[in-house]
Amino acid sequence: MGRSFVLSPELYAQVLDQLSSLYFTDKPGYSTDMNFLRDDLWLCDTVVIEHLQARKGLWEVSLVFAHYQMPLRFLARRITHHTCPRRAEMMAFYMRRLAAKDQRGTLRISSESFHTPLN
Amino acid sequence: MSAATKQKIIESAIRLFNQDGVANVRLQQIADEAGISVGNLAYHYRNKDAIVASVYENLFEEFADILSFYLKGPGLSDFDRQLDLYYDFFAKYKFYLIDLFEVERSHQTIMSAWQQFVAKMLIQIRKRIDYCVQRGLVRPEPIPGIYDTLTHNIWMTIVFWIPQQVLKGQPFSSGHFKHAIWAQISPYLTPRGLTEYESEVQPLGVNP
Repeated sequence: MGRSFVLSPELYAQVLDQLSSLYFTDKPGYSTDMNFLRDDLWLCDTVVIEHLQARKGLWEVSLVFAHYQMPLRFLARRITHHTCPRRAEMMAFYMRRLAAKDQRGTLRISSESFHTPLN
Repeated sequence: MSAATKQKIIESAIRLFNQDGVANVRLQQIADEAGISVGNLAYHYRNKDAIVASVYENLFEEFADILSFYLKGPGLSDFDRQLDLYYDFFAKYKFYLIDLFEVERSHQTIMSAWQQFVAKMLIQIRKRIDYCVQRGLVRPEPIPGIYDTLTHNIWMTIVFWIPQQVLKGQPFSSGHFKHAIWAQISPYLTPRGLTEYESEVQPLGVNP
């Protein structure tokens, strides 16, 4: 049987000191810290992309809102789910039309805008 | 099922160790208590030493769990919760203190493991006092070294309170156990600490 790891008392005392100090160094945040969630004006200039995904036996409909100039600025929201893929597809289409600023879909982004390295 | 039988053997052994002491319990008694044959018991544990080692393994695991309940929350009630766990532990494993010196003679590794746990327990209590001083719940050390003594006294109360009640032939309960410990800390509480103690700790069942 291998020898078990033993923390020296001095080190253990230091660990507890660090743990105690967490309550003094960690401060509660301010409501303004969450402004990035409230600042949603940029969503007006986004391309809305419907996204269908099979998840836990259901077809999940998500909408991805990606800025048409900076596609890396995006937000994904789950909208609903259906057992039937066709119904989910239809729902995704209508939800996209409802959410998108340009309902005809003239704003476009391509996957190349993400510059994703594949290696 | 093998794991279930092993657990049954360990639980029976703990019951008998508490009742008669480790040295006075025979394999036959453990087998009878567990409701299995000695042959079956010997299949799982080759001798009593193996059972004792396994009981202590369980005991150490539980003790390590209790130690991990350090500063889960910022208030005094956090210590009270840990005291509840200590009480349950020492009430469950009463034999540990009865057989302390016997175990020391025959199981050197068990004893050294215990000493490590005791050292950690003492450090935790001392650091908790320091933390409460920092938070303004406990007064700064009035006389140098007095909080080290307080730490040792709290430790002794946690470990030896149940056996001394048994010795006096008096009943023991979690509320009385916790009161014995808080009674040592309360003289050092600041007005803020006292308010927190009265509002958050006393309602958790500290009985004078």
